Amino acid sequence: MIEFRSVTVTYPDGTVGLDDITLDIPAGQFVVVVGLSGAGKSTLIRSVNGLVPVTNGELVVDGSAVHGAKGRALRRLRARVGMIFQSFNLVKRSSVLTNVLVGRLHATGFLRSMLGWFRASDKQLAFEALDRVGILEKAYNRASALSGGQQQRVAIARVLAQQPSVILADEPVASLDPPTAHMVMRDLQRINRELGITTIVNLHFLDLAREFGDRIIGMRDGKVVFDGSGVQADDAVFERIYGRSLTNEDVLGADDVEAAPVSLTSDPDAAAR
Amino acid sequence: MSTITPPRAPGRSFTPPPAPSKLRETIGMLAVTLVFALAVVLADANWPRLLEAPAVLGEFVVLMTQGVLQNPLEAPTNEYWTRSLELMIESLHIAWIGTLIGAILSFPLGFLAARNVAPPGVVVVVRQILNAIRAIPEIIFAIAIMLPIFGLGPLAGALAIGVNSVGTLGKLTSEAIESIDTGPVESARASGASRWQVIRYAMVPQVMPEVVAYWLYRFEINIRASAILGVLGAGGIGSILSALFNIRAWDRIGVTLAVIIIVTLIIDAISGSIRHRIIHGAAPRGVRRRRALTPEPPPV
Amino acid sequence: MSASTAPARRAITPPKRPLPSWRLPVGLAAVVAITVWAGISIEFTLTPLITDIGRGEPVVRGFLDPNWLFIFRVWDAWLETIAIAIIASLVGNAIALVLAFLASPVTNPITPFQKTMKAVMAVVRSLPDVAYGLIFVAAVGVGSLAGILALIMFNIGVCAKLTAETIDAVDPGPIEAADASGASLARRARFAVLPQALPGYLSYSLYVFELNLRASVVLGFVGAGGIGSTIRVELSRFSYENLSAIIIALFVIVFALDAFSRWLRKKLI
Repeated sequence: MIEFRSVTVTYPDGTVGLDDITLDIPAGQFVVVVGLSGAGKSTLIRSVNGLVPVTNGELVVDGSAVHGAKGRALRRLRARVGMIFQSFNLVKRSSVLTNVLVGRLHATGFLRSMLGWFRASDKQLAFEALDRVGILEKAYNRASALSGGQQQRVAIARVLAQQPSVILADEPVASLDPPTAHMVMRDLQRINRELGITTIVNLHFLDLAREFGDRIIGMRDGKVVFDGSGVQADDAVFERIYGRSLTNEDVLGADDVEAAPVSLTSDPDAAAR
Repeated sequence: MSTITPPRAPGRSFTPPPAPSKLRETIGMLAVTLVFALAVVLADANWPRLLEAPAVLGEFVVLMTQGVLQNPLEAPTNEYWTRSLELMIESLHIAWIGTLIGAILSFPLGFLAARNVAPPGVVVVVRQILNAIRAIPEIIFAIAIMLPIFGLGPLAGALAIGVNSVGTLGKLTSEAIESIDTGPVESARASGASRWQVIRYAMVPQVMPEVVAYWLYRFEINIRASAILGVLGAGGIGSILSALFNIRAWDRIGVTLAVIIIVTLIIDAISGSIRHRIIHGAAPRGVRRRRALTPEPPPV
Repeated sequence: MSASTAPARRAITPPKRPLPSWRLPVGLAAVVAITVWAGISIEFTLTPLITDIGRGEPVVRGFLDPNWLFIFRVWDAWLETIAIAIIASLVGNAIALVLAFLASPVTNPITPFQKTMKAVMAVVRSLPDVAYGLIFVAAVGVGSLAGILALIMFNIGVCAKLTAETIDAVDPGPIEAADASGASLARRARFAVLPQALPGYLSYSLYVFELNLRASVVLGFVGAGGIGSTIRVELSRFSYENLSAIIIALFVIVFALDAFSRWLRKKLI
């Protein structure tokens, strides 16, 4: 359960990121946030784990306050909130396994983490996470040797290894080609359904938003201008959110792997590369 | 700079645009010439000796070459070669330990001098310290600090080289840290990692190859520096070199210089190929943009 | 919906950990072995830092009480040092530019000649400045002329190598254009290569000039003139107050020259 109570975020340069937002996101929901760039959707997501500090109002995640949280308390909170980024944000020179184990750092002591001696149970968690996104056999490869779609799955595995109750995804498919984008979105949805993890995803493609969002939140100028189900969000709604008529740029396009189930053994990205 | 004459237009007359003023360049050239002339006067050099120099140098080269060309298996030439080699290896040892000390000390200082790691106040202070160290030649470190405490010998030389290396290595390390990809740092922080864990898992793996390449580069420089300190009596090839010049033993000097050249060339080649492998070899093509081996000539 | 994986986790077998590359352990072992060998050879110890720190005391006392007047008493040595650095940089860098053009395959198509020049450059670079200092002191006698000649050799080594690498990496487009318009080799080098290599060359030249000031201190020790000779004399007299003053002054001059050359670099490039 994530509760926004009149949350305002103002950046040091005076830009208003969020303007008096009040929202409730119940546990287990798959929420898609849409809006033009600069509308505040990235700020909304980043405020949930404190990467962007809340200026005013209250923001509570699973009963713990994010506003004003610092140091250890903030880190403990971040441990329960996983985050996926547009540019994957992996350490390219490190192995896939090491990248996933970054998700276990919050539970690893100073000395153990400095020496790189992770507990066997933590490694097991990392393997299970990799298995869940279907790239277990890549565990010992360098992250840089993987395709874009595979790298984003490593990032998802890193988040799963955190054993989070919330997953935030900031434009997770913006750097991927359409088939791969669909696949990654389906992975996120499957994880949301199977593990009941609350998921908030920023997207700017309205077809993806309609396809995957249980609930769609439309943002404009730091305010929530639409909040409803994917069915309610027709083209008129999107035109209102975007403040302009829709173009081809707003649609990701053909989902040519629609029929193919996500396979755990073959390498679906090979075709996309 | 210079402009290529445009092709002549056929027939019709035209007025070319006025050429940009050459005044600045002319003044610059004049200034350089003036400074040079002034320096020639002030240098207090015995310029007439310059005329004799080629003949004298030629004679030296002949004598040295004779030394090198003597059968290296026969006494006393074999002694010359082995003794020079021993001392050159001692120079390498001095350079190695010095580089190691420099690497160990400069690594944490590099982080403290990086704006994306340390608070601004610390960064300013550490950077000034690194700059100060870079400004002083290692010979000053050796005579002023190391010799009185450690006595005349290779250890003092190694320590002087080590402290001196900290300046350059710390600066280069901090620059490498400041140019890392910030994405992994953000994702590590977002998953609840502490400051130390972020450094260990998101920063160190990114900068390590470049930093190790700098260490190797510095080792190449330090080999030359250790020869310098030898002249002071800090052991290694430099000590025998100055002794040989005092007695004008040109054949032995020839052998000693040959050893220096050969060993230095071999070490440079090995170190260069390791550096190349660390920076380019391991990364798959296209992932990392190719950059020059020496990003900027690090000050010696 | 991909229902291929059931929510209940099946037991997974992690992939076998591949054997770590032999390079890292072998490299680390080599580093440790060389370090131990070198450490024993130079009798590495830090105990004097604790036991003999007192021996540094007169030095430190001298250094804390610099004899400021001494800086000006040896002003001619300072001028000499700076003059040596200026002459050596200008001459050395000019020769280095020519050598660099001869040593790059981009500007010198005669392969054996080019390879020879490259080898000559490597050999020139491999000798430390002190060796040149000793050679030229023997050849032209004690004094600043030996220092100038030694630094010229040193500068050629540093500057020619860096410039040749820059020439190797110039954009081939303008060269092709020059070739296409039938330019001779010399013209091609002058109009297609030089403008591209010039910023790098100027920046290396300034860098070399900064190095020269420090290097000339070293050369003074072997009799090649400048402030280094003064430092040597004061050192042998154990007059640390005078040494301290010189070092502080050296410090200021190096900083000032650094600032000046940064300014010049910005102007030129």
